[in-house]
Amino acid sequence: MAALRDGDFAALQMLLKAPSKDAVRQLCQECFSSPPAALGPLAQRAGPGLAVSAEEAEQLVSALHNLTRHVVYRGFTGAEDILCLFPENFHQNLKNLLTKIILENISAWRNEAQASQISLPRLVDMDWRVDIKTSSDSIVRMAVPTCLLQLKIQEDAALCGNNPVVSALTVELSKETLDTMLEGLGRIRDQLSAVANK
Amino acid sequence: MGLLNFTRDPVPEAVSGDMHNLNQLSAQQFSELTEVLFRFLTEPKEVERFLAQLSDFATMNKISLGPLKNIVKSILLVPNGALKRNLSSEQVRADFIALGLSEEKASYFAEQWKVNSPTLTRLAVGQTLMINQLVDMEWKFGVTAGSSELEKVGSIFLQLKLVVKKGSQLENVYVELTLPQFYSFLHEMERVKTSLESFS
Repeated sequence: MAALRDGDFAALQMLLKAPSKDAVRQLCQECFSSPPAALGPLAQRAGPGLAVSAEEAEQLVSALHNLTRHVVYRGFTGAEDILCLFPENFHQNLKNLLTKIILENISAWRNEAQASQISLPRLVDMDWRVDIKTSSDSIVRMAVPTCLLQLKIQEDAALCGNNPVVSALTVELSKETLDTMLEGLGRIRDQLSAVANK
Repeated sequence: MGLLNFTRDPVPEAVSGDMHNLNQLSAQQFSELTEVLFRFLTEPKEVERFLAQLSDFATMNKISLGPLKNIVKSILLVPNGALKRNLSSEQVRADFIALGLSEEKASYFAEQWKVNSPTLTRLAVGQTLMINQLVDMEWKFGVTAGSSELEKVGSIFLQLKLVVKKGSQLENVYVELTLPQFYSFLHEMERVKTSLESFS
């Protein structure tokens, strides 16, 4: 989580050199989505378009990252909350533009933050099939139904960066196991509705 | 000896001698021995208990343990083969008679077979190969209160721990699901249950 620093707002004023409002919008989105480690390369790409030095570009990108992340962290929903963050002498039009851009993006950014939250490996897909076992070395003739369940599990996104590792786990369930599992899942559903109805 | 139901392989020579010895037991003794045998068949892990009970039987009836064990080995050939081939009690009775057991004892054993065969069949099915068998499932769910990126969150998460048997080892698999995923998972599992039930 990024905290706002003193020099940040000064650095933000460099956005006045941006060629267009869309350029500012684009830069805001890129700065929010970029992890702190990738801000350097982002600054190198953005610098030329803004006619600022490499060092200034880095300060700007870092400031925008901090600002956008801070707003998402605090969960601001209204323009007033965001406007209050800016110091008195900040350029009025730029302040309004930034506030507008942030408000446009805030729910998408919130979802992005939640999606990339640390977590246990996540279930991404699930498939099943039912087989009938007809014979084995212990019984020559039978007709026993069994279920094969394949779970696709993705490792923690934060650890994998852009190449999420998805592993597939296939498990076999007998009818008894399935019944027990459904009992457990049913209990979860009941508890969830109890919590929801409180 | 005619064609047997419980096996297609030739039967060891010792078996007819063992059956002859069995015929010498009284009805009471045969019934006790049969009980010991079926107790073992229905709980095959209790090997020590089985051997202890055989030893007690041998002592109480003044039979030497060695020959008794051979007799028991011969008798067990039939129920093991019968289980594999889903034989009826008449077929079991016929096989014992073909091996040389008296009609009375063969009928008694076949009766006990009929009584115990559901349990025994279930045991045999349970031994059938399973790939990555799901052995246990633990779960917890809660609310994410906040994170380093979002001060206040308030979303529900569900975590499952699946214990899977891979070969002879148990492996734990941890998975997290969102609420919509959970409901979808529950729905799919109910569909599986319906499918399994229609085939039972």
